[in-house]
Amino acid sequence: MAAGLQVVFGVQKIFNLACGSFYALGAYAGVSAVGWYASAGGPPALFVVPLALAGLAVGAVGVVVERGLLRFVYDRDETFQLLLTFAVVLMMEDAIRMIWGTSPRSTSGLYLTYGQLQLLGATVPVYNLIVIAASLVIALAIGWLLTRTAFGRIMRAAADNREMAEALGVDMRRVYAKVFTLGTALGTLGGALVIPATAAMSEMGIELIVEAFAVVVIGGLGSMRGAFVGALAVGVLRSIAISVYPELEMLLIYLIVIVVLVLRPRGLFGGAAA
Amino acid sequence: MKRGLGLAAATAAMAVAPLVGGTYHVLLMLPFMAYAVVLLGLNLLFGYTGLVSFGHALFVGIGAYTGAFITSRTTIRSLEVILLSAAVLGALVAAPVAALCVRYVKIYFGMLTLAFGMVFYTFVLKFYRLTGGDEGTPFLRPSLLGHAFDAMPKIDYLTGPYYYYSMAVLGLATLVMWRIVCSPFGLCLKTIRDNPAKAETLGIGVTRYRFLAFVISAVYAAVGGALLGPPTGNVDPTLAYWTHSGSLVFMTLLGGFASFFGPVVGAFVFIYLQNWVMSVVPYWRLVFGAILALIVIIAPEGLAGLVTRRRPAPAERA
Amino acid sequence: MTLLDQDHQPSRRQFLTLVGAGVGAAAARLGAGPAFAQGGAPVKIGVLAIRAGIAAPVGAAGLRATEWWAERVNKAGGILGRPVQLVVEEESNPKDTVERYRKLVLQDQVEVVLGGISTGVTLALGPVAEDLGTPWLSWDGTTQKGVEETMPNPKWAFKSVDNEVEAIVAGILTPKYFKGIKTVAGIGNDYSYGHDCWESYQAVLKRYLPDVKFVLELFPKLGVTDFTSHIAAIQQSKADLLMCSFWSGDATIIMKQAAAVGLFKTMKGVFTTAGGVHDSLKKEFTPEGLLLGYNTMYFDDPKGSALLKQFVREYKAKHNEYPPYECDHAYFNAESYKAAVEKAAGAAKRWPEKAQVVKALEGIEIESLSGRRSWREDHVQMCSFYQGMTTHKNSYDFVTISPVEVVSTRQAMKPAGAKLFDWISGWKI
Repeated sequence: MAAGLQVVFGVQKIFNLACGSFYALGAYAGVSAVGWYASAGGPPALFVVPLALAGLAVGAVGVVVERGLLRFVYDRDETFQLLLTFAVVLMMEDAIRMIWGTSPRSTSGLYLTYGQLQLLGATVPVYNLIVIAASLVIALAIGWLLTRTAFGRIMRAAADNREMAEALGVDMRRVYAKVFTLGTALGTLGGALVIPATAAMSEMGIELIVEAFAVVVIGGLGSMRGAFVGALAVGVLRSIAISVYPELEMLLIYLIVIVVLVLRPRGLFGGAAA
Repeated sequence: MKRGLGLAAATAAMAVAPLVGGTYHVLLMLPFMAYAVVLLGLNLLFGYTGLVSFGHALFVGIGAYTGAFITSRTTIRSLEVILLSAAVLGALVAAPVAALCVRYVKIYFGMLTLAFGMVFYTFVLKFYRLTGGDEGTPFLRPSLLGHAFDAMPKIDYLTGPYYYYSMAVLGLATLVMWRIVCSPFGLCLKTIRDNPAKAETLGIGVTRYRFLAFVISAVYAAVGGALLGPPTGNVDPTLAYWTHSGSLVFMTLLGGFASFFGPVVGAFVFIYLQNWVMSVVPYWRLVFGAILALIVIIAPEGLAGLVTRRRPAPAERA
Repeated sequence: MTLLDQDHQPSRRQFLTLVGAGVGAAAARLGAGPAFAQGGAPVKIGVLAIRAGIAAPVGAAGLRATEWWAERVNKAGGILGRPVQLVVEEESNPKDTVERYRKLVLQDQVEVVLGGISTGVTLALGPVAEDLGTPWLSWDGTTQKGVEETMPNPKWAFKSVDNEVEAIVAGILTPKYFKGIKTVAGIGNDYSYGHDCWESYQAVLKRYLPDVKFVLELFPKLGVTDFTSHIAAIQQSKADLLMCSFWSGDATIIMKQAAAVGLFKTMKGVFTTAGGVHDSLKKEFTPEGLLLGYNTMYFDDPKGSALLKQFVREYKAKHNEYPPYECDHAYFNAESYKAAVEKAAGAAKRWPEKAQVVKALEGIEIESLSGRRSWREDHVQMCSFYQGMTTHKNSYDFVTISPVEVVSTRQAMKPAGAKLFDWISGWKI
């Protein structure tokens, strides 16, 4: 399955405990949007459109969180940011429950709308390929955004040296708001895109954070390339563990996280700057 | 002087609480006292050394499981033995973890402690033959100072002897911690927090001090964790889950990490507030998330900061 | 499934107000409503319901059924003329739930506590209930450690059916519906329930098919939402049959992801507990011909009573879902408490002591949603399990079962005091 989706967690500069919650939010919104779309009689072949739109739309919650909470603590220790996102985790869990209830939600048969393919002797749903393609496109788009556009340059500058960027006349507030919203929208979009293959559960945010955390740490904080490699590494290691020694499945990931953190605290692809 | 008076009043109130308070509220004092011990330790790291651990539930779990193992797998019931073993085991586990973690600060430190906490959680959950997995391990009624109190109904035991025992442990833990933070060691920690580079030039071994602070805080967490076990009677992996670590930090922040007694106040308020909010609204996590957000933004010095007002709260600086 | 089906769980306050208003209105309309006997102070009934996490849907179902019961009872005049008042608290981790339990008994002074689902929690609650001397009727929790009882002779605690019964029932039915099975793979959640179900299932199947081989066992963590790697491993094992004890959203997910690679085109499937999330098992990805367990209540039972039909209708109308089995655990607990109070009160209709209620509960048999249910003398719930082969021939968008097999706990649950595996190896087959 497209572990590549988890790439989205990498771009957030702030270490965001709530990224799992955003993912869950996107998933629920996706289920609702598709349900609404189907009952309105939309052609099933185009269901990814409302799905993706819903995912992007609820990404707007990023603006609320950033403007309403995070902007107050940029000057302080990163720990406070971490704590604020923990508060968001608590709030989002209940908010999702208030809106969608406690039962698992899933889209009906849309997962198989696009059929299946025989690839190297295995059956692969075409939808999986679409998601993989989508995440590659997103990854490339972000890469382009970061390296080829003015906004990307500002973002990188801000990440490297905030004071300097500010001194050069960059309005850091707007940059941060945009970055955070972008990160959130990618998270909610990821949640929405993956939902046809799975089901939305209210605790998925809290569960997912651990995996996302592993991906980001292994890859390196704030590194796009690293997040991609991290996601792949986690996915592959998990598959290996499951077929070789299932008992180790989850433990293995944490152990690798620790090894990576101890040996290369900035991750495999993190910047070298101390 | 004022603090001394307040302390005396609080101690007196706690001492008479079982005689005048409703049974249920007296029972709630037990997790409060256990958490207070944990938080005194956590704050040596958080408030005094400037390192925020997101994995201290690991040590709470170690303490609780130590007690559960001793009481359910051996014939030893003595709480003194349990607390001592918890402290030793906490230190033993903390040593390698601390050695790795204290090389980093800020967010990396938090993440590494979180990872270690989750390794322990997964271990407890996975090796269910040893630990009971999700079903946990029973923590049988421990004997206090050689008295078994077997004939006493559990509630009377908890609100009577066990209550005063916890109070004594908390008192002792407070006293020792006070000595620690007032000692040259404590002053060095504060210097490290405020300016590690300066501390290094002054000849303070930054890493060594951080290491010691970490180990001490782990010992406190393990002792507090062991105290947390008997009122529930069963010890389970959720004690070691990362959200429990988050709650510990929450309590510390709520009370105020900048003050010695802040975390103790935080534990008290957290427990009684949770008790109340949970009964009134089903969505108590929403309320608690909002409270946490408010504290971080408006009153980062917590309740203690609001009361003492020694330093103006640096809110709205952004 | 509709868009934004809001789950209006009334808070305790709201609920008390509602019940209170109902009582007030009834009293005001003299003669129109049921008049509660004079001095009929409300009976406070404590309820523990899971609200968060993977078992939240199960907790919600239990709470809804209890509320439905309370409304009905109050409409009909309460228990011995006293209206019922529910005091709802949350079941979360063992430590907090023990505190909530003590609050219900010591602070709210309830007459009885209903609820308790997770084994980790109820193992801790058992001894606490015994200490406090108030009857506790557990919805779905046992005081089993693994498959063995830890509290064989409780005084106050009443426990649910043993955790592994659904796996035993599935083990009994497997050879009947799937001929020629030689190799079996298993997948369950990585906690005691998953492991216990798998071991019980193997033990039972071995009795019927001594040559069967168990070729693979997988235990993903509870809460995992991607089983692609697991399904690949299951496919590689080339087993004839897959046994799966998932009971939450993960059952839906594995079904979907299995369909995506056509797993059940070549393999048979047994889902011991997936009926707990039955209405999310859509026809598009759930094939016919799987053995599916609904646990202890089947909402679409063709032989179901009028009571069940009314409940299903009203549940659907109110919550837009079809009720899962947990509803009947909860309904039976509440209704058996009422029956026991009335029985203990005798002709004098004097409200009984708690110990008298407990005595009356022992062995009591009543009409519950799914049929007759009773409390065994050692405080374990006795009822029937519903399993059958999945079919698409119905008017829903999800699968149901036909034929419906009904297996009583008298056949599939170890008797009081027995060791599970000794008991199974002693079966005459």
